[in-house]
Amino acid sequence: MPEQLKTFEHKKRNWVGKPLKRKEDLRLLTGRGTFMDDIRLPDMKHAAILRSPYPHAWIKGINVSEALNFPGVRGILTGEDIAKMSNPFPVGVQVPPKYYCCAIDKVRFVGEPVAVVVADDRYVAEDALDLITVDYEPLPVVMDIEEAMSPEAPVLHDNIGSNIYSHRFFQYGDMDKAYKEADLVVKGKFHFPKYGSTPIETYGVIASYNPFSEDFVIYNNYQGPFVNHSLVAIALGIPENKMRWIVPTDIGGGFGTKTGLYPYIALIALAAKKTGMTVKWIEDRREHLLASATGTDRVTYMEAAVKKDGTILGLKDKAIDNTGGYIRAPEPGCAYRSTGNHTGAYQIRNLDREVLVVGTNKCLTAPNRGYTCQELYFSLERLIDLVASELGMDTAEIRFKNFIQPDQFPYTTATGGIYDAGDYQKVFQMALDKIDYKKMREEQWKAREEGRLIGIGFSTVVDPSVTNIAYVTLALPPEERAKGHPKSGSGEAVIIKMDPLGTVHVIACTNPQGQGHDTVISQIVADELGVHPDDVTVSNAVDTHDRVFSITTGSYSSRFSSVVTTAVVTAARRLKEKMLKIAAHLLGANVDELEIQEGKIYVKGSPDKSMQMRHVAGTAHWNQSALPEGMDAGLYETCLYTMPTSQPPDDLDRVNSSNTYGFIAEAIVVEVDPETGEVKILKWASVHDAGTILNPMLLEGQILGSCAHGLGGSLYEEWAYDENGQCITASFQDYLVPTAMEVPKIDIGHVEIPSPITALGSKGAGESSCMSVPACIGNAIADALAPLGVTISELPLSPNKIWHLIQKAKNHT
Amino acid sequence: MNIEGKHKFLASQEQIWDLFMDQKNLEKAIPGCEKMEEREPGKYDVLLKIGIAAIKGTYTGKIEVVDPEPPNRYRLLGEGSGSPGFVKGEATIEFSQEGQHTIVSYQGDMQVGGLIAGIGQRMIGGIAKMMAGQFFKKMAKELKSQQ
Amino acid sequence: MKPSAFEYFTASTVAEAIKLLERYEDEAKIIAGGQSLVPMMNFRVAQPEVLIDINGIKELDYIRQEDDEIVIGALTRERDLELSPLVQEKCPILAEAISLIGHASIRTRGTIGGSLVHADPAAEIPLTIYGLDAKMRVVGPSGERTLEPEEFFLSYLTTSLEPLEILVEVRIPVLPQKTGWSFVELTRRRGDFYIVAVASILFMEKGGVCKEARICLGGVGPTSIRAEEAEKILAGQVITDELIEKAGQKAAEAADPESDYHASAEYRRDMTRVFVKRGLAEARNRAKGG
Repeated sequence: MPEQLKTFEHKKRNWVGKPLKRKEDLRLLTGRGTFMDDIRLPDMKHAAILRSPYPHAWIKGINVSEALNFPGVRGILTGEDIAKMSNPFPVGVQVPPKYYCCAIDKVRFVGEPVAVVVADDRYVAEDALDLITVDYEPLPVVMDIEEAMSPEAPVLHDNIGSNIYSHRFFQYGDMDKAYKEADLVVKGKFHFPKYGSTPIETYGVIASYNPFSEDFVIYNNYQGPFVNHSLVAIALGIPENKMRWIVPTDIGGGFGTKTGLYPYIALIALAAKKTGMTVKWIEDRREHLLASATGTDRVTYMEAAVKKDGTILGLKDKAIDNTGGYIRAPEPGCAYRSTGNHTGAYQIRNLDREVLVVGTNKCLTAPNRGYTCQELYFSLERLIDLVASELGMDTAEIRFKNFIQPDQFPYTTATGGIYDAGDYQKVFQMALDKIDYKKMREEQWKAREEGRLIGIGFSTVVDPSVTNIAYVTLALPPEERAKGHPKSGSGEAVIIKMDPLGTVHVIACTNPQGQGHDTVISQIVADELGVHPDDVTVSNAVDTHDRVFSITTGSYSSRFSSVVTTAVVTAARRLKEKMLKIAAHLLGANVDELEIQEGKIYVKGSPDKSMQMRHVAGTAHWNQSALPEGMDAGLYETCLYTMPTSQPPDDLDRVNSSNTYGFIAEAIVVEVDPETGEVKILKWASVHDAGTILNPMLLEGQILGSCAHGLGGSLYEEWAYDENGQCITASFQDYLVPTAMEVPKIDIGHVEIPSPITALGSKGAGESSCMSVPACIGNAIADALAPLGVTISELPLSPNKIWHLIQKAKNHT
Repeated sequence: MNIEGKHKFLASQEQIWDLFMDQKNLEKAIPGCEKMEEREPGKYDVLLKIGIAAIKGTYTGKIEVVDPEPPNRYRLLGEGSGSPGFVKGEATIEFSQEGQHTIVSYQGDMQVGGLIAGIGQRMIGGIAKMMAGQFFKKMAKELKSQQ
Repeated sequence: MKPSAFEYFTASTVAEAIKLLERYEDEAKIIAGGQSLVPMMNFRVAQPEVLIDINGIKELDYIRQEDDEIVIGALTRERDLELSPLVQEKCPILAEAISLIGHASIRTRGTIGGSLVHADPAAEIPLTIYGLDAKMRVVGPSGERTLEPEEFFLSYLTTSLEPLEILVEVRIPVLPQKTGWSFVELTRRRGDFYIVAVASILFMEKGGVCKEARICLGGVGPTSIRAEEAEKILAGQVITDELIEKAGQKAAEAADPESDYHASAEYRRDMTRVFVKRGLAEARNRAKGG
């Protein structure tokens, strides 16, 4: 662990911190964005995918002869082709399943690809799908997470022999001592549902293969390249530089759905290779709701050893994540991403963890916005409330009692997380004030006398951002890790250059999916170089040949605000330093005497001793011999930045799984209709510490979006399967995404506690309330239903579900 | 999903047994049955165009009469697959005499997989019940026309 | 989600449409607003070989009063009905029910005829038509006929419309003044298909006595259900809270609900009781002039 966190000097900002309108909006609002489906290449053909209607079945045979002869069909691939043309995708577990981009001999979830048709247009391709006959031999299904672990359960992968993909135990501190000192142990079992993000833009791929140079060019809307580029290269059996990925300027939402392994990139690439054509595939909504990616569903047994005064001495938990029919990268991250912040905002030094990652006949997973934290905090924050209830303590009081104190930062958790900065008390108090907490409790009591059910819920959570990829290696025990290659880092690459005429251009690799990265980058560079944001242009979409990238490059785990901004600042300062050196040389001054403002470089105190920035650029480009001795020509600087706090795990399985840690206090007041089980939200306060605010308008957008997202998982959204393994939410008629009508007014608040380890003091906020809202609404509804003896341990809470819980409780009394 | 029900026929149990064993009647009564060919005794290949209103799917499959215990009960197994997915069902059908009437009661399970399951879960249960009812109505019609 | 191939014809009169139906029979499907048909075609659960587009039959787009009936052409858009002063005044329950259909953009295209012929068991217009005891006028090659709701609606997505017939008009009796009415529904989100819906109409007499009650249940059977036993409880009575309570319980017995992912049969049955109660209270309020 580093002894001292690297700190940056935080300056006053002109542009950063202002609600500058987004540069992206004009093109997006006038329909001039460039998304995957906007890309038209010459002689492009179209693919449609045949998908399994069975959740678990052998494929005895596929007959494509009639389909091949259908007019307009250019070629068909089945699992047989895929097995010959590719390898299974690597994944970080000890015994991996054989996961290809298409089913080979067996299907393991409804919607799994079974064949691909390439045709002149999508209509014809779908006509041809109807002509393919597949002979399936159905097998018994396993849908329940816990049943999947039983020895009698149908086994999905014979080469593994069970449905358990990953299984580890962790011990931190001394749980035995905690149990001995405890006055009480409070237990809970929690079930977090399978749900996703359903971005407006689905997956899309356009692939072509050059048989002479043996390389692929693949357009796609991945949030990476992240680890995916390398893994797909391995699967295709090609050197990594033989596969060029190009991402369009605009991606219509990702939310993590486009950061999991994206098998369709490989599938369509192989379709292009076999047919010799340029092949385009745009996923339709039904396909997305069957076979794209969701977060894991999880069963958690969690218990807390507590003292009578509310102090939580230790936690023990067993969490079982379900990644579906296969496990694919970056899983089993689902079990390990939140290691560093597992104990949340509390001073809990003792922890025993058992972690299981299992498979059932459901579709596969990816880091869904919040990635593991919504599952973790639903259990932890519900348990905190259960503890408070057992002790007769106020649910706000118990949180204050256990919070990490402001003077304890930077705070190293029992599990190795290094919380950089925070003031949890201040943030939580703001949330309490916003809902007028004392008054709400009084109103609640009055309402109860009238038979009305009002509930108040909190969740106070640490918001981790900037993944340290080291955490994935926790799937291996320390002895195994020691034998292999360690992993660590959170790297990001930014290039900044000044053109011969003095204009600034930034090249980054974050593949934005609507976050407004280009705008913020412009604000940052404007501050650093003393120019106007309108004068800065940005390219931000990956081209793996033309861009500098690393295994961690991309937008995920809210890393832009922390690590990318730091890379931008660093690159900009390097450029500024070079410019000042050139100016100093030309003005005959010292670098330390110089200042940049509004496009001019001048000597402090002697403003007439100055030169225009563009003249510096002119010298660097047009008069290179006038540069200082030994200096490179041109104006071009790169920063490849990884946070020094991204280290491998130690032998005690401690790891700083993220790098910057924000904090969220969510407070929600609900009223539950005792007759119908409907939930109405009366008040909602969402207070965030995301460090220095880069652009308040964008931050508010992220918070509102993540609140709506969290609301979805709490009350509406679920990727549902029936007992026979059929996905029954394959359209928006049944997969219920909250609309504007369902999202109430949210009172957003901010407390800026700057991070000492990022250039601007900012922390991540892209996932934020996704992590806190499900727990908060669960707590609020539990609080409302407490007089009826109902406990809440699962989501989503539809009126039907709440009504059944109420009836069940009535029947027990 | 579970399907169960009862129907009353004005006929003897033997007559009803024969009625339900006759392929011609099954072909007329099974919803959407366009073709039915006997492979072996009690095993039939079928072509079904099942649907309701504009929603139609074509399924090829098999129907089997299993464990017959004349004239009291038998099991009916069916499965079909087509581009919309598959349907699979099994039912135990029991006959009992009640005065001049025969009661036909059935209890079974039906699975629908693929497209319809994904987008039609709202109505599948009710429609399955409705089709079971249609089957018996048509059987009753056949009985009447034979009497 | 691309539809399978189809031939496309437009008709500008009813006669033309019927001629096309005669020619293509079972292969043809009529398309008006397309709000139900097009998604089904995109999913390929419906694969008509021929589409007959009747959006051009202007003669079917009207709302007018003829004596004591509101007469509506089958092609009238839901949004127009929702905003029509005539409907709001003479048949307000229809305007209210329609305002709950989906979202405004859907209602701009959807037609009253399309909704009735589609006969979704959880749709607002069929339920309201039941409650209003409106008549459906239908035209085919052999002439025209008029159907009552019980004759028109047969089951899930099924009406008694013959393959060569077109629904052309809906005739709704004007509600007398001081009639109490309400349309209440339970949905998971605004605009969704309802889990349970109740259309109530209370025909009143002097002295606050309910002459006749109509209680129509939606979402708890293959078609809408008139809760006749519950209606009898209120007929000829002054409507008290007690009677409303009893009617609610009786109506729940008339429901024939299925379970699905969103709501169990038990829940629907109990919600029938709850929403009948709420609907009747609201209708009584309106009858009083509130």
